[in-house]
Amino acid sequence: MLLARFLGPRVWILIAALLLAAVLVPMANLYLSPSHPLHVPSYMVPLLGKYVCYALLALALDLVWGYVGILSLGHGAFFALGGYAMGMYLMRQIGARGVYGNPELPDFMVFLNWKELPWYWYGFDQFWFAAIMVMLVPGLLGFVFGYFAFRSRVTGVYLSIITQAMTYALLLAFFRNDMGFGGNNGLTDFKDILGFPIQADSTRAGLFAASCIALAIAVLIVGWITRSKLGKLMVAVRDAESRTRFIGWRPEYVKLFAFTVSAVMAGIAGALYVPQVGIINPGEFAPVNSIEIVVWAAVGGRGTLLGPVIGALLVNYGKTYFTAVAPEFWLFFLGGLFVFVTLLLPRGIIGTIDYGWETWRSRRRASREEKGESDDGEGQPLASPAE
Amino acid sequence: MAEADVTNRKPQDEVQALFEPQGVREEQTPRTDAEGHGERRPAAAPASPESAPPQAEAALAPIEEPVVSPHPYATKLREQRLAKEASGHARRDTLLYLDGVNKSFDGFKAINKLSLVVARGEMRAIIGPNGAGKTTMMDIITGKTRPDSGEVFFNGDVDLTHHDEAAIASMGIGRKFQKPTVFESHTVEDNIRLSLAGPRSVLEALFHRKDQAERDRIDAILETTRLTEKRKLLAASLSHGQKQWLEIGMLLAQDPELLLVDEPVAGMTDAETEETARLLREIARTRSVVVVEHDMSFVRELGVKVTCLHEGSVLAEGPLDQVSADPKVIEVYLGR
Amino acid sequence: MTPSIRWLLAALTFLFSAISVAPVHAQESDPAATIQKFGGKQSYDETEAVISELAATGDARVARALRALREGDLYWRESDEAVFIAERNGDNYDLLDPLTGEPAGSEPRGDMSKVRVKNSIRNAVTTALGSLTLRAENPAQRMRAAETLFSEADPEMIEPLDAAIEAESNADVLIRMQEARAAAVLASDRPAPEKAEAAQVLANRGDRESLTMLNRFANSTEDQAARTAAIAAIAAIENNIAFWNQAQNIWYGLSLGSVLLLAAIGLAITFGVMGVINMAHGEMVMLGAYTTFVVQEFIRTSAPGLFEWSLLIALPLAFLVSGTVGLVMERGLIRFLYGRPLETLLATFGVSLILQQAVRTIFGPSNREVGNPDWMSGAFDIGLMSVTWNRLWIIIFALAVFAALLIVLNKTPLGLQMRAVTQNRSMASAMGIRTPWVDAMTFALGSGIAGIAGVALSQVDNVSPNLGQGYIIDSFMVVVFGGVGNLWGTLVGAMSLGILNKFLEPYAGAVLGKIVVLVLIILFIQKRPRGLFAQKGRFVDA
Repeated sequence: MLLARFLGPRVWILIAALLLAAVLVPMANLYLSPSHPLHVPSYMVPLLGKYVCYALLALALDLVWGYVGILSLGHGAFFALGGYAMGMYLMRQIGARGVYGNPELPDFMVFLNWKELPWYWYGFDQFWFAAIMVMLVPGLLGFVFGYFAFRSRVTGVYLSIITQAMTYALLLAFFRNDMGFGGNNGLTDFKDILGFPIQADSTRAGLFAASCIALAIAVLIVGWITRSKLGKLMVAVRDAESRTRFIGWRPEYVKLFAFTVSAVMAGIAGALYVPQVGIINPGEFAPVNSIEIVVWAAVGGRGTLLGPVIGALLVNYGKTYFTAVAPEFWLFFLGGLFVFVTLLLPRGIIGTIDYGWETWRSRRRASREEKGESDDGEGQPLASPAE
Repeated sequence: MAEADVTNRKPQDEVQALFEPQGVREEQTPRTDAEGHGERRPAAAPASPESAPPQAEAALAPIEEPVVSPHPYATKLREQRLAKEASGHARRDTLLYLDGVNKSFDGFKAINKLSLVVARGEMRAIIGPNGAGKTTMMDIITGKTRPDSGEVFFNGDVDLTHHDEAAIASMGIGRKFQKPTVFESHTVEDNIRLSLAGPRSVLEALFHRKDQAERDRIDAILETTRLTEKRKLLAASLSHGQKQWLEIGMLLAQDPELLLVDEPVAGMTDAETEETARLLREIARTRSVVVVEHDMSFVRELGVKVTCLHEGSVLAEGPLDQVSADPKVIEVYLGR
Repeated sequence: MTPSIRWLLAALTFLFSAISVAPVHAQESDPAATIQKFGGKQSYDETEAVISELAATGDARVARALRALREGDLYWRESDEAVFIAERNGDNYDLLDPLTGEPAGSEPRGDMSKVRVKNSIRNAVTTALGSLTLRAENPAQRMRAAETLFSEADPEMIEPLDAAIEAESNADVLIRMQEARAAAVLASDRPAPEKAEAAQVLANRGDRESLTMLNRFANSTEDQAARTAAIAAIAAIENNIAFWNQAQNIWYGLSLGSVLLLAAIGLAITFGVMGVINMAHGEMVMLGAYTTFVVQEFIRTSAPGLFEWSLLIALPLAFLVSGTVGLVMERGLIRFLYGRPLETLLATFGVSLILQQAVRTIFGPSNREVGNPDWMSGAFDIGLMSVTWNRLWIIIFALAVFAALLIVLNKTPLGLQMRAVTQNRSMASAMGIRTPWVDAMTFALGSGIAGIAGVALSQVDNVSPNLGQGYIIDSFMVVVFGGVGNLWGTLVGAMSLGILNKFLEPYAGAVLGKIVVLVLIILFIQKRPRGLFAQKGRFVDA
């Protein structure tokens, strides 16, 4: 249908692959015997799930960076906030099974001699409430932060630096015990989610499938946004902000919309991530994490739908591989990747492929300069990785 | 038409002069005006109503309005209102009205008591050496820069100093930059589509659907700007001159009442320059246009009234031949 | 620039004049040897002779031994006749050095003999204690004696003090003696009015010790008038202490500010002047700190005598190391990315990861020990405020680096070319300035200064591969807050952030204070996106 032409075949292949993975990986894990060559070992399911969450996070960043030109160095904060919201739900699910056996208070509160649950923990025993908070808290932070920043026309590196300061401030805040989020240790020792034991293979398979589906939906939504007139406006804001202003648009609202949507997506990614890794702690707020997200999107190709997903999968697979084989070389590799991508591959993998394809096609068109055959644009060619 | 305004304005002008804040009025220097059409105002301004009540009374007399209350505050409010109304009459028929505008950056006076009136449907060329304040004037009109003092009115009574760029653009003032700025990663068609007049809300843009009326508008604008052939191309691949036209096309798509065009022919070939002059004249049939340009042959080709700016204020105004014969203009351009 | 130097001088003069009469160690005879003469069996006369000999040394430190003698706590060891102050601990005596009071092991009770005393000896000791030091020739010694007596607050000493006060000619010493007397009076059973008077004297002294004494007195005395006087005195002292606490806060703030200034000043050049976002700036600081470490290691193994000079030797080396790394970065990476600030940010972040990991691989992940030379250690008091030498030197150093940088930018050809290039690159290049060379030199200068900062920061912070990370966000905040492209803004920004931080700390705690500062800066940038001292003009946002 119309949407099919709209997004181009590659995006549909990606979505189909995600949905297929959502079915096949759990089946290969649960129903194939361990000796079977296609068996997916149990440790690998949450690992893959983690990658998918990262891909979702990278896609969220790509929406603001690739399409609107806002380089956020604080997206880790939205991810972590979503994760904390989910973590709080999971903590409440532990109930009396904690070390101290307090039915009401999480262990760390008992340990700190707290007598009652802080008000902001109310409601987190309900999944629906937590689910709303997963989106509301990062979305609200993104909205408020973005409202002030964009309204006062803070742009470029200044914006990047204050987003970094934002996540740094949250990092410091969440390290404090009296914040009521478990301080240094964060939230962990989860028991079950929606009544399913969190360690069980089947639950993990379910979480993996949920992550894949969430990513597929996110790709669709981002695709829809970026292919709409608003998406064109976003790119226009990225390339020539003052021009949009002088034809009557308010770029601050365009940015605010993208930033808020992106924050919500990052929050969802965090919420899916936490039950799969079993812990959320303040380390997720570290500025380094947020910058790493940027490199995922950069490697894959910002300003594309496929790029950030592929970049996140590749880089994180690389990270797993390196930290197992030669941990001390991982940072060398990552650092080198930053330099390599910015210097030699500024469009990223997908962007470079698109660009090559685009130039080849226009050359071909120029060579047979006959009737202007109408072309159906697929994949957004990134004319200039403008900044 | 502009002449007619001036004669109409005279009586109210005096009333207005009485109620304007003292400072602004006194700063007003009588403008040198080759054609002799500018506003001639009393050189020494009367004092404000408070300090000279009898005069104020006398001036108020012809306007029939009961004095509501002798309370000084009420009287003051009424006077202010009347003054506002009076000055409104003065500029009611103008499209763009700048009076006594000042703007300085770190002590450098970029705009110095600038007064300028553009009538509806008028095309005006603005010339002046570098640093004369042409671009700053455009910035002030379009809301990018806020003046330190002075009045900037659009359409008679819209105070532009209270609005930002987007709001001013939506009111119907389009601006073309010195350096062509188009959305390079969009096609020519999309560039025009984004500029089309219409709602400017984010959600509308998200749920926007293309329709036939929109397509027709785009076709018409592409036709006017001679870009129909290029509609599917990325704007980045256009030549410099084509980008200038595309930008003018984007302004047209906004359907503005007033176009501010900054150096439209810089870097163009002669043929392109000629074509641009034709394009602007065509546009000026239905809208007001203010063109800032260095290229004298282009200005001659436009054949419109010329205003020469120097050091932030108007040096001379009139037909090109007259302005270019003005000894002061020659001095400014050729050095002293 | 001249004002800044004048300011600096004024500050220094103030500091040094305020250091209260520094202790002078004038050693005529060795009191430790004299004390040892108590050892061995001897007659009362012999003991008395030793007492007068000790009194004659005029060294206040012997008071400890004399007082122990009076209380009957002075013992000598049978084996070698060495003299100790002994405290009974089960079957053993815990031994203390008679001069310093340091623990000196323990001995079975049987092995120790008491230095015998009788009343005449006790009286001799009391007199000696009084005359001993309070009558010494050297006013500094008398001062020290008075200070010692003050903290002891021994009622027995009132009379000797009275005598000394009578004879005292030095006004400063006189005040100290009167304070010592007042302390003794408060602890004695003298009549209440006299105590009230004493409380007033302590109130004038106004330090924490006086506060403790007065508090103890106010809680124990029954006399209403004396208690009222004491309470008034307490209030006065608390005011005084509050004042000095503020002063101390400002001092801490300046100290933190100078650290921030050091960390940010290089960034003020690379980011502020050139507009290059160098995320590896913190690692330049780290390299400077590790250079100091290597220099000290080298000195430790090859030339231990040079240790005092290690920091001065490290300074130029750190400048070279970080400057060279900066130069390589600029030529090999950043110059390809001019005009693309966000890409520069990412690429330099990559470099920072590589540098961190390289240092971790070479030097290991843990903290390395960088020593403080003597002139960097220790502290002194100004009023009730304690000032550590390393902080003081770092403030001076930061201001010196700042001044030097201003000179380089404003008075040297390189500085002129730098400013020309940043203001109008194409015009500068048309004038024959080799802009790429200026870019490289500017970046190297900024990085080199970061390296110098690393030398200083190695004295107050842990030298680890993560050293730089801790400073990068703060440095950016300082530069952005102060206003990009304005060195004075950086100075003011660093100092005000430092002081703000330290003033928030008591109310909010260190971490929360820092968060509050970050949030305030974020809000501030919204309000004034171009910082405190923004450059204004038509071309700023062109």
